[in-house]
Amino acid sequence: MLVSNKIRMWCGIATLALFLAGCQKDYYVYEINDQTILPVNSQKIKPKSITQYISILYTNFFQKAISPNSMLQAQKAIESVGDKQVAFDILLSKYMNDPKVILPTVESMRQDPEGFIRNTYRRFLVREPTEAELNWMLNYMQSRPNVTPEHFYFAFGTCNEHFHY
Amino acid sequence: MNRRKFIKKSALAAAGTVGVPYLLPSGLLFARQPSMKAEHVVFVQFAGGLRQQESVLQRYLNGSQNEKVEGNIMYNLLDGKPPEDKIAYGTDDKQNNIVGAFPINPILQTPLQRLGTLFPEVRFSKGGAGHFNGLSTGVSGNYYVTAGLRQRTASPTIFEYLRRHAGFSATDCWSIGQGITGSRPLLNYSAHADYGRRYGGNFLAPLITFGSPGQEHFMDFKNYHPDTDYEMIREIRGFLNKNFSNDGLEIPHLYNTPEEENSIREFIRATFEKVKEGRITMPPVNDNGDLKVLGFTVELLRWFKPRVAVVDLSNIDVCHNDFTAYLKNIHRADHGIAFLWKEIQSIPGMKDNTVMIVMPEHGRDEQHNSIKDLNDWYAYDHSGSPNARRIFTLMVGPGIDANLKVGSEANPVGDAADVVPTIADIFGIKDQVKRAGLLDGNAQSLFDRI
Repeated sequence: MLVSNKIRMWCGIATLALFLAGCQKDYYVYEINDQTILPVNSQKIKPKSITQYISILYTNFFQKAISPNSMLQAQKAIESVGDKQVAFDILLSKYMNDPKVILPTVESMRQDPEGFIRNTYRRFLVREPTEAELNWMLNYMQSRPNVTPEHFYFAFGTCNEHFHY
Repeated sequence: MNRRKFIKKSALAAAGTVGVPYLLPSGLLFARQPSMKAEHVVFVQFAGGLRQQESVLQRYLNGSQNEKVEGNIMYNLLDGKPPEDKIAYGTDDKQNNIVGAFPINPILQTPLQRLGTLFPEVRFSKGGAGHFNGLSTGVSGNYYVTAGLRQRTASPTIFEYLRRHAGFSATDCWSIGQGITGSRPLLNYSAHADYGRRYGGNFLAPLITFGSPGQEHFMDFKNYHPDTDYEMIREIRGFLNKNFSNDGLEIPHLYNTPEEENSIREFIRATFEKVKEGRITMPPVNDNGDLKVLGFTVELLRWFKPRVAVVDLSNIDVCHNDFTAYLKNIHRADHGIAFLWKEIQSIPGMKDNTVMIVMPEHGRDEQHNSIKDLNDWYAYDHSGSPNARRIFTLMVGPGIDANLKVGSEANPVGDAADVVPTIADIFGIKDQVKRAGLLDGNAQSLFDRI
């Protein structure tokens, strides 16, 4: 009886040891660090001041710097309208009526659509488009025979990403 | 369907349309249909620090320069005879080189005081008697003891209350600034987390928009077709904005719908055309900024027919160093407000359907400073003195008792914070605004004070 109890006890200990040893998870280390995947524009978290925005916008459309006096007047004009999207749209519409504004031609856009889209992303958003963005833009250009560089430049110049850095 | 069935179904459908609850932006289902006293409100913040002595007390020079000449230089708004001596508040007699010699003819046959209700002794009860503080209290119904310039109000503005609780659109709500200085562009929405820009009103400072800054950078802007050009721009921009989904990072717009954005652009274009052709409807005398702002305000009212418009005037603040110019500008503000009221009565939809509220943002000191003007009259500042806390409020329009005076010098009635609950009361959302718990403790609808 006593022997039988001892045997039982040792059997139990052996089973427990096997159980504990058998529950260990296998870890495979491939020596690759975890990476958080963020959108390409996630670094842009600060809004530009109105003067920064106007200055960059003007330079992008006229390929030269805005004069200090003109900047001051533009800033006042923008501040006088509450909805800044509307104000920026009007400001850029005014620039678009200026014969000195520098835009690519429709022909050059149609000849090299991908180059046009890539250059536009670089000019306004200071980055390359993702493949998805590039495809969307190319498809849009194909499906809209009336779309011009002016429409693209206007949209890029007044989009939220262009207002942030 | 026979005739009887048709009538029955039509009646049921009509009843359903009226009775079906709708979801307001506040998320309130089964919102009560507001019972409105009027469909439009125009609130004039008058006009840069106004003393009671030269306004409701009608003491002219007797309350300031120790000269025994009394009289009413605001005879469009207030009941009372004008001064008969030492006239210096009108237009200049250039031939004889006399400043302010010719009083401006009244525009209204009956002063607004007789058509409405006057609270002659209202208190700007807390905080510093500064312009931005005063204007902020006027639009938000609360006081800001520690806030400075360049800060939006901590409590929601009347625009936010109306957009959130009454479902008004952005172009239903306008803040019209005399300029862009003194943080005026910040008066259209608050910094409150539950309200803010999402419910903000539109803002315009017309002397800047249509003055030299706007003429250089806005005038003759390209006319894109809204259904073709703008549509494509919006589609491309919409895609770009969707891909820039960092939370809350957007150009600070005011949630105008595309149609509202188009309407604002077209208003600006049309107004520029009028400016070029000299066709802005201006007050008969329009020789200062306040009067020109009121001219542009009428243009804006005609175009948008806003539910609520708040306009601030500021020219009388010249009282810091020129008492004569102060008197002239009080007289002009009275002229301009009468013009505004008269023009409102010519706007279809707003005629007989608009309540106008006039209230100075604060008063001025009882004691003069050391500066004298060309007439050897002393100038006045505005500190936190008791006299700088004395103001009045005048209401006129449908549902407002005529020829009623509430309160007196010995028995002041009303507070500067009252205008927001009063406007909320006019539009039937007083209870929602009160329940939000963000008004000053003293704030009360003026209708409840009568």
